Amino acid sequence: MDLKTIALTKSISVFHAACSPCNNCDIEILDMLTPRHDVERLGITLIGSVRHADALLVTGVPNYKTKERLKKLYTQAPKPCVVAAIGGCACGRILFRESYNSPCPVDEIVPVDVYIPGCPPKPEAMITGIIKLIEKINPVRDKTPKATDGCLRQPISNGVKAKSK
Amino acid sequence: MNIVERLKEQLLDKILKFDEKSARRIYIDLKPEDIYDAVKFIFKDLGCRFATASGVDTPAGIEMLYHFSYDETGQIISFRALITDKIKPEIKSIAPLFKGAEWIERETWELLGVNFIGHPNLKHLLLIDEWPEGSFPLRHDRKLS
Repeated sequence: MDLKTIALTKSISVFHAACSPCNNCDIEILDMLTPRHDVERLGITLIGSVRHADALLVTGVPNYKTKERLKKLYTQAPKPCVVAAIGGCACGRILFRESYNSPCPVDEIVPVDVYIPGCPPKPEAMITGIIKLIEKINPVRDKTPKATDGCLRQPISNGVKAKSK
Repeated sequence: MNIVERLKEQLLDKILKFDEKSARRIYIDLKPEDIYDAVKFIFKDLGCRFATASGVDTPAGIEMLYHFSYDETGQIISFRALITDKIKPEIKSIAPLFKGAEWIERETWELLGVNFIGHPNLKHLLLIDEWPEGSFPLRHDRKLS
């Protein structure tokens, strides 16, 4: 296990790359990041610049213009960088595959590591997807919450208790 | 005098059809060449707000609609013009009157192929610059790829 992989899975800075979405997935992403679901307890934070990002959250069907921009974003991200396709559009273009302005799905532009389908996917589904990805990249990470933890409402304590002497 | 009466008085015989769907939703059919003056009057003199313009590909030709809102009464007035020449549809641009019409005309131009005469910056907005010329995505005769 090299340092880069440990650093990647320890606390993930996500960058939200919106490739012409309808905003529905974006609202759910915001729902995931804000206190109701609070992914910061798992170390996941939203970041403003792709140059500091560990993961790209891609939403929407790329069109000819956003295709080039997504390519550029991925090249600017420090490697290793994981890509999550969020929503049915990013996973497989669904009803937009015949559209005049939809050249290809997301996974033909950048390598996608995790597909989270749904229209839009629930925040729980996104958290579960991200945790499954962490487990796959770094199986020995001992403090990794289990994939099912994404569905819990209460915060995770990690089983650490303060001992009084 | 309310704005509908003032509009009727100003446009007079230019009105091909006056269609009042309800008290707050009014359609006025005009010839394409009369649109510019009518828009100038309703925007500059009556003080209506330009909501948007829309284009429709119909069997008879390409229909351009210019929607104006009069916020004091909540009335929406739409000018409707049918451009019968589908091969080379042309209409005078209203973008020189107000900047707000610039982008919607660019979009209508690239998606429906309506040429806006006098538009200051008629180039692609949503599509790429390398988009094939003469291929208009929202025309019914365009084949799906």
